[in-house]
Amino acid sequence: METFQHLMTGFGVALSLKNLLFATIGCLLGTLIGLLPGLGPAAGTALLIPITFKLEPTPAIIMLAAIYYGAMYGGTITSVLINVPGEAASVVTCLDGYEMAKRGRAGAALGVAAIGSFVGGTAATFGLVLMALPLARFALRFGPPEYFSLLLVGLSLVMALAGRSLPKALMMGITGLVFSLVGVDPVEGAPRFTFGITPLLDGIRFVPVVMGFFGIGEILLNAEKSLVGVMAGEGRVTSFLPERGEWPICLGSILRGTGLGFFLGLIPGTNSAVAAFMSYAIEKKVSTRPEAFGTGVIEGVAAPETANNAYANAALIPLFTLGLPGSPTIAILMGALIMNGLTPGPLLFQQHATFVWAVIASLYIGNVILLVLNLPLVGWWAKLLKIPYQVLVVLILIFCIIGAYSLNNSVFDIGVMIICGILGYIFKKLDFPLAPAILTLILGPLMERSLRESLSLSQGSYGIFFTRPISLVFLIITAAILATSAWQALPSAIREESKEAQV
Amino acid sequence: MRALNRIVWSIFLLFGGFVIYESLQLSYYGIEFGPGPGFFSFWLGILVIGLSVIEIGRTLRASDPLPEDFVPNWEGLNRILCLLGALVATVFLMDPLGYKLTTLAFCVFLLRALAGLSWWLTLLISLASSFGLFYIFRTLQVLLPTGWLGL
Repeated sequence: METFQHLMTGFGVALSLKNLLFATIGCLLGTLIGLLPGLGPAAGTALLIPITFKLEPTPAIIMLAAIYYGAMYGGTITSVLINVPGEAASVVTCLDGYEMAKRGRAGAALGVAAIGSFVGGTAATFGLVLMALPLARFALRFGPPEYFSLLLVGLSLVMALAGRSLPKALMMGITGLVFSLVGVDPVEGAPRFTFGITPLLDGIRFVPVVMGFFGIGEILLNAEKSLVGVMAGEGRVTSFLPERGEWPICLGSILRGTGLGFFLGLIPGTNSAVAAFMSYAIEKKVSTRPEAFGTGVIEGVAAPETANNAYANAALIPLFTLGLPGSPTIAILMGALIMNGLTPGPLLFQQHATFVWAVIASLYIGNVILLVLNLPLVGWWAKLLKIPYQVLVVLILIFCIIGAYSLNNSVFDIGVMIICGILGYIFKKLDFPLAPAILTLILGPLMERSLRESLSLSQGSYGIFFTRPISLVFLIITAAILATSAWQALPSAIREESKEAQV
Repeated sequence: MRALNRIVWSIFLLFGGFVIYESLQLSYYGIEFGPGPGFFSFWLGILVIGLSVIEIGRTLRASDPLPEDFVPNWEGLNRILCLLGALVATVFLMDPLGYKLTTLAFCVFLLRALAGLSWWLTLLISLASSFGLFYIFRTLQVLLPTGWLGL
């Protein structure tokens, strides 16, 4: 009942004309960003943060959240129409979506993706409403040791799931932590790793780092090859609905995708691509015609798209209740919240209840806006895809430059963005995952503060992490996660070595 | 690939040493109980070194060739250098020339070099992205630099 009242208050705020307008603009901009190859939701959200600088916190976050799930849908359009996924989560949509488009069924593919996204997103938001208050109340029991141990759980999951190599993921996580220490020490005010460079006293901001890693880095990778997509069926989009016989199949896929996406969204370290790929694999397994997958079956689009969006909304649960971002895009939203003077976590529900419930209500509204806007506009989005990629790259770069500069009216941040772009390009080529670095860059200050506060409380004794039950449980989970992923990596390494010995 | 990985992990090893060196310039213990500004970074440096040593050890045993598409071809490299060159130039020109002139030059150069657009289309897009965006962002209260000429 209490939750329902809060939610109604939230709807009251979110349905104001101003907030509706920002949600609509966010959905449109997000879809536009999602359309651009090489710019996923992470870079897209970071890129558009400057637009929200002058807004109040509630419309700013409503708009950024709308950009986030709008970008998720935008990636679908390019996957279906030109076989170029806007982001990793859409890769799997290409398999059947593009094949459907080639057979003149682009409308049905985009329609079922929109319906699935709507159902998945709405169900996940409903889960958020149900779980938010109990989880937040539980988290209120956390002191600095519990919070530090919880952050370790989140980070170990991110590192374990981020890439093929645990050492590489660990190194990226540690590198992000070192970068997060640059600036003035939060407790004693001593400058660290600043080398006499004045702008570094403010630390390394996450926005230029994200835009460099995910925006510039991706563009440099794409620049290696000429990226030209072939528009299926000249981009003509007709009927948006599946055929009558396809509805029962779609419904099952959408329900399974919703459950899987929601569950994965709760686990830090997973990402929407994992949700999409897993749901595709499950559909293939339960299907009566697995051999037809990849030739343009509608459930091959419905399931991953649903899982993708259910994931996007469910991933907000650990952020809002525990202050734990599970993916780079969620970490960017966390950064935006902090920039607006709001610290995500259990206290958010106590200190800024109106804000947080308005954002949750806006997620429902955003899902409706996305459904209502995107289907009629698909033809327009398809026209945009005819702009040559090389022209889009130049425009994306200009937005990156504006985004980085306007953070602090300083070209220093543009420099940081370029350096991170080069690093991102090199790390991607070397198969170092970037997500752990972004997460630790944002969580680093919180992690250091909770570690130092814990050790101050215990007068320097590390026993404080092991004598408090919740903290101990988190530490055991962390150890189990790292041990499991290290153990999983071991047999393949041994196999590799024995093969080499034979050669 | 392993040889390349060995070089990368060696760079990380140096990075770890550098982090430890910098940490030792800061106080390890805080003013009151508990750790100081150099504590966290010191242990992160130790972790970097430990991980790097383990990985260098793993890469010493055998070698495998680089993937075929690892090194970009000349055309790809040319595009990358064009993009990076234009970006770096922007950093140095933004303050003296201002946003409008810098991005005008940025756009003209890249649109001609990468997209090979006609001059009139290049100019149209460049003017919209430089002068046009400047005024759009000004209405959003995001102020961009005007440079020494006040443009």
